[in-house]
Amino acid sequence: MKRDSHQEARELITFGSQGLADSEHARLSTHLDGCAPCREYAQAAEQLVRSLRSVPFAADLALVQKTQLRVRLRAQQLRQGQERQWLVWMACILVGLSAGITTPLLWRGFEWLGEWARVSSPVWQVGFMVFWISPALAASLIFLARGIHLTDTNRTSRG
Amino acid sequence: MNAAACYFVDGMESEASAIARGLRRRDPDLLDRLIEQYQHRLLRYLIYLTSNRDLAEDIFQETWIRVLERGHQYDPKYEFSTWLFSIGRHLTVDHLRKKNPASLDGLLNEEEGVSLDPPDNRPSALELIAQQEQAERINSAMVGIAAEYREAIVLRFQEGLALEEIAVVTGAPLGTIKSRLYRGLNALLPRLKGARA
Repeated sequence: MKRDSHQEARELITFGSQGLADSEHARLSTHLDGCAPCREYAQAAEQLVRSLRSVPFAADLALVQKTQLRVRLRAQQLRQGQERQWLVWMACILVGLSAGITTPLLWRGFEWLGEWARVSSPVWQVGFMVFWISPALAASLIFLARGIHLTDTNRTSRG
Repeated sequence: MNAAACYFVDGMESEASAIARGLRRRDPDLLDRLIEQYQHRLLRYLIYLTSNRDLAEDIFQETWIRVLERGHQYDPKYEFSTWLFSIGRHLTVDHLRKKNPASLDGLLNEEEGVSLDPPDNRPSALELIAQQEQAERINSAMVGIAAEYREAIVLRFQEGLALEEIAVVTGAPLGTIKSRLYRGLNALLPRLKGARA
């Protein structure tokens, strides 16, 4: 122990016997054998640690039960959310597939209608776009309204 | 490593792995068991960290919700308690930052609300009084020292965490943890002179 040997010994005492390497243990023992003040410090620290460990403590049963209930409810919410997410993904895949198959047919249908009604190409093309995009627009509006409703509900329940 | 130590480490790893698997499945029975098993240790840590029982109880509940939500992030190479304490600590620091953008030291003067309940092992009235007096003395001494020292002392001497585990929980370097322990104990010793176990 070259620097302040007393301080180093006291630091080693503080870290506790489990936190020391064998060499540190040996150095500390040698120092304590020849240093009464550090021995006193070690005894006081040991006493203090014993006092700390003797502090009785218990959590409320009500708190534990409330926590368990909250965790179970949240787990249920998460499970439902996952199931809903799975359904949304499946719906997206089905919509994508059906759109891929039906769009060329729909395009040809609108083209034929345009020719039959003798309207210019941009007119039936705009008509096709409106028809094609309207289900997605309707779905977006429904989801948006639902999202606003959920946000309002959460705010009300928190407030 | 000898055979007994190997067995111990393997046992700890398999338990941690079982917990990790259960957390990934969000197994509610496992969570119930963990809440019961770690209730006292977590709440005691949070009370010493915040110096406020009501706040500690709120964070206690939030910690378990976070354990459920982030269970897949638990790495079984660490003990579950280390991960649990670090979640509790993060939530406490987040809460304090929102409430008051100061560090944990900001709670130093909030001494009210620190109360520790006696255990339900029915000691005699005299023993109960002595225990309560002792607990009150220790609690008031603990509240009087800096929060980061208090935290290191609680984790080391009450929860029995290794220095490296405390470094993981607090996110501080090992040297800082050693320094906090040394300073904390030195701050606590004069305040608790005469306290006996």
